[in-house]
Amino acid sequence: MSFQLDCPNCGIRPVWEFHFGGPSRKRPEPDDPAVTERQWAEYLYNRPNTCGEQTEWWYHRSACKTWFLARRDTRTDQVLETRLFAPQEAAGG
Amino acid sequence: MADSHEGVEFEFDGKTIRARAGQTVSGALHAEGEHILSRSFKYHRPRGLLCASGRCPNCLCTVNGTPNVRICTVPAEEGLVVKTQNAWPRVKFDLLSIFDRLHKFMPVGFYYKMMYKPRWMWPVWEKFIRRIAGLGNVDRRTGGEATYDKLNLFCDVAVVGGGWAGLSAAREAARAGMSVTLIDDQPELGGHLRFDPDLADAGLADVIRDVRENPAIQVWDRATVFGLYEGNYLGIQRGNRMIRLRAREVIVTTGGWERPLVFENNDLPGVLLASAAQRLLHLDHCTFEGDAVVVTDNAQGYRVARQLAAAGTNIAAIVDVRENPPASEFQVIKERTLARARGARHVTGAVVGRFSGQPQSTIPCRWIIQAVGFTPANSLLYQNGCKLRHDEARDHGIVKTYARGTQSAGTVNGHHDPAAAALDGRCAGLAAAAALRPNDSGLSASRDELAAKLAAWPAGEMTSRHYVSPAQAKKKFVCLCEDVTEKDVCDAIAEGYSNIETLKRYSTVSMGPCQGKMCQGACIAICARENQQSIEQTGVTTSRPPEQPLPLGLLAGRALHFSLVRRTPMHDWHLRNGATMMDAGNWKRPQVYTTVEQEYEAVRGRAGLVDVSTLGKIELRGRDVVKFLEFIYPNRFENLAVGRVRYGVICDDAGILLDDGTIARLDTERFFLTTTTGNADAIDSWFRSWLAGKPGLDVRLTNISGSYAAMNLAGPRSRDILRKLTDADVSTAAMPYLAARQCDVAGVPAIILRVGFVGELGYEIHVPSQFGVHIWEAIIEAGKEFSLVPFGVEAQRLLRLEKKHLLPGVDTDALSNPLEADLPWIVKLDKPDFVGQRSLARASARGPRNRLVGFRISGDQIPQPPALIMHEGKLGGRVTSCSFSPAAGCAVGLAWVPAAISHNGDRIQIQVDGQTIVAVVQDEPFYDPPGEKLKS
Repeated sequence: MSFQLDCPNCGIRPVWEFHFGGPSRKRPEPDDPAVTERQWAEYLYNRPNTCGEQTEWWYHRSACKTWFLARRDTRTDQVLETRLFAPQEAAGG
Repeated sequence: MADSHEGVEFEFDGKTIRARAGQTVSGALHAEGEHILSRSFKYHRPRGLLCASGRCPNCLCTVNGTPNVRICTVPAEEGLVVKTQNAWPRVKFDLLSIFDRLHKFMPVGFYYKMMYKPRWMWPVWEKFIRRIAGLGNVDRRTGGEATYDKLNLFCDVAVVGGGWAGLSAAREAARAGMSVTLIDDQPELGGHLRFDPDLADAGLADVIRDVRENPAIQVWDRATVFGLYEGNYLGIQRGNRMIRLRAREVIVTTGGWERPLVFENNDLPGVLLASAAQRLLHLDHCTFEGDAVVVTDNAQGYRVARQLAAAGTNIAAIVDVRENPPASEFQVIKERTLARARGARHVTGAVVGRFSGQPQSTIPCRWIIQAVGFTPANSLLYQNGCKLRHDEARDHGIVKTYARGTQSAGTVNGHHDPAAAALDGRCAGLAAAAALRPNDSGLSASRDELAAKLAAWPAGEMTSRHYVSPAQAKKKFVCLCEDVTEKDVCDAIAEGYSNIETLKRYSTVSMGPCQGKMCQGACIAICARENQQSIEQTGVTTSRPPEQPLPLGLLAGRALHFSLVRRTPMHDWHLRNGATMMDAGNWKRPQVYTTVEQEYEAVRGRAGLVDVSTLGKIELRGRDVVKFLEFIYPNRFENLAVGRVRYGVICDDAGILLDDGTIARLDTERFFLTTTTGNADAIDSWFRSWLAGKPGLDVRLTNISGSYAAMNLAGPRSRDILRKLTDADVSTAAMPYLAARQCDVAGVPAIILRVGFVGELGYEIHVPSQFGVHIWEAIIEAGKEFSLVPFGVEAQRLLRLEKKHLLPGVDTDALSNPLEADLPWIVKLDKPDFVGQRSLARASARGPRNRLVGFRISGDQIPQPPALIMHEGKLGGRVTSCSFSPAAGCAVGLAWVPAAISHNGDRIQIQVDGQTIVAVVQDEPFYDPPGEKLKS
């Protein structure tokens, strides 16, 4: 793992400055009775393990302490885009 | 140079060798007639110089105590001590060569087949095998002496390889305004043209000078790129230094590895690659006395023959594989190949035969020179994720698709003509520059122009397809590193290991020090032949870093990033006052100053002071902090008044307890939070991760862990001490239990939290860290009349255990939720959504399975965590903390037990040293159950 990420605050930095936060997923509304136990367990314990592009959370641990979203191809580790979470987006995990 | 009388002397197996200045160790040994340099891995056959370029395993020796050094890459220096390896008693007369005669008892996969039973014999076999097979021994006395460093660099374009193609690429990229780093593993630039004067162009010297003098080009010679990692990150070895280079574009111009021909006895000393002969002739200024036979199918063989003849060698014959070899001044034997080398310790003759096998004739000679083509040095391209395919016309792997930011040029692309390689290099240099400056259309236009010229270049001579001579024989070595013969490879395929990857693992072909540089071509050719497949179908084995063997010191060597050690502002005071320090994460904390008993007595009876600066401290400000806290914590915060502090735990969405700490409301929109020492960064990150998904919330988070020093003043006399240092009213009426105040203490601004940290009246005092020592000393001074003592972590843990305070991560693990961890009162399931609510509601409905309980033991045994707890004959739980409690007068502790035996008065069975001891569950704290002391 030696690729680079473009932190929205700090610019391009090596991956070891960052902490991987897992794929971005929508948190099911816990109070919603339509959310089944199975869906909730799925959210808690299963990760999609995508082969290809996925949007995921990264945390700039060694510098500005910002969580941001990156779109990465898991096959090549090519990072296609990085951005902050936008207010209009639904709450992610 | 050749006539220079200046020389150096070094030692080779006890013999003094004289070398001319500029010679390599192996060159000097060749000149002295020392041709046996090592014994082979398995059969202990004599081996001599083969590649002379640091690829093959034949010249591995121990140099000045460092094992497995290729002496063909070591410049001869005064006083070097070179010793041969893997021979007994010595390399010239090795009794272990008996294994060469026993080879038929040692088939491929011998160890797997013969040595697995009886099983108890394996350690005996292993010891024996390790003694008789393998490479050099590490000298434990001198092994650790070298110092290894790391260097981090950046550039626009990195060029790997300093031959014609690399030089041209570097110059072209620099001309386009790029910062360029050129890495070459040889002492001088120029690639193989350095030792092939008939190919060298007059322009080469100018290009080398240009590159050397260009300020935009940084040249690292004698440097090996051992890994090309994703993101164009290059690992480079240069002596004892690892250079880590980040390049925006990489151009691989690593050329080719000359490959040997597989024939019987092809490993005899005196059998050399053509390029090795050229290196010895032109770089080491050596000669080859006697007769030589050259086997070839290309122009290089004829050039080498002429160069050898010019240096005084008699060319007995050129054996040419082709039907129509070119006219030559030498005797050419066409449509023949080498069947066998004659000789025991050195070549005495070459047996030449037809492809059909017979008839054969012997030519007496001392040297066999092989010029049968090159394998492209493309392992870095494979490492970087480039896709290669086998090009049938060139008989060569060429790049099908490049990884991002990667180019290649020259021989590695199949351009063996130096002028074509140079042109290809220029194309790659321009392409790299164009990729970095996409708006400059001139760059790509020039590149396209050169590419068109290259496409129209007359097709060069094909490289060889001749890997293996047809003769049936046993000692035809494919892999010199591991002593694997053609027969071994065929047997392995016949046994079912027909896939190139399984073939490699079973036969160990290509798994030795050369990592396939010598044997890959032949191995694939044999595999393809036996499987009746094409080379393309056969494929290649995966190429991984390191491309060349590395000393482990290089990987382990000191880095520019040191591990962090954190000291509190009062650190030096602790040391001056006799504290024994301990590690708490990155922090150093006082473990104990005098004895735990004395410190304990002081806190319970009078007063004590403990440094808690290592607590994580987070300040939250904003209109929505309450909303955020209500969401993060399972307990309630909207009713937390200004000036009050509350204990809280943090859970994840699965309801697992992550951390605990206090939350103080200093102002309507200002909160001061503490976390445990080890979790400060994790909780900071945890808060931020939830805030990142709620960008609308007005919550500003500042991690002030390092900015504040903190100490806990505790004990019945602590109020008397604090009163001396502040004008604020510290009476219980004005500052009751769980009050949070901001006031001056000893003249500096402080935050005081009245919390029951150790179960006594106590004050947690936070001050800006620059005042830490000042206020600590002021409290110690003011406390003298009350016999205040400083106390350490050990006393703190005992004091807290007596109050049944859990320590997250010690008393809890990744399965612990607060309902089961003795904190059910903290979870307010009737709140709206908070992190962990749904899972906790489910856990609550299900009821506890295990519970964290306090226990006491009446005997004098103190079970150490994780002592196991038995229930109904099965493992039921474990002890997480246990100490002797002066307050209870017996051992007390915390343990996870099955819910069935978790009630007050239940008896639990703890295993200690194979015995079972009985403990009694206790709901109440072991000290001051009603909590009157901390509220006093």
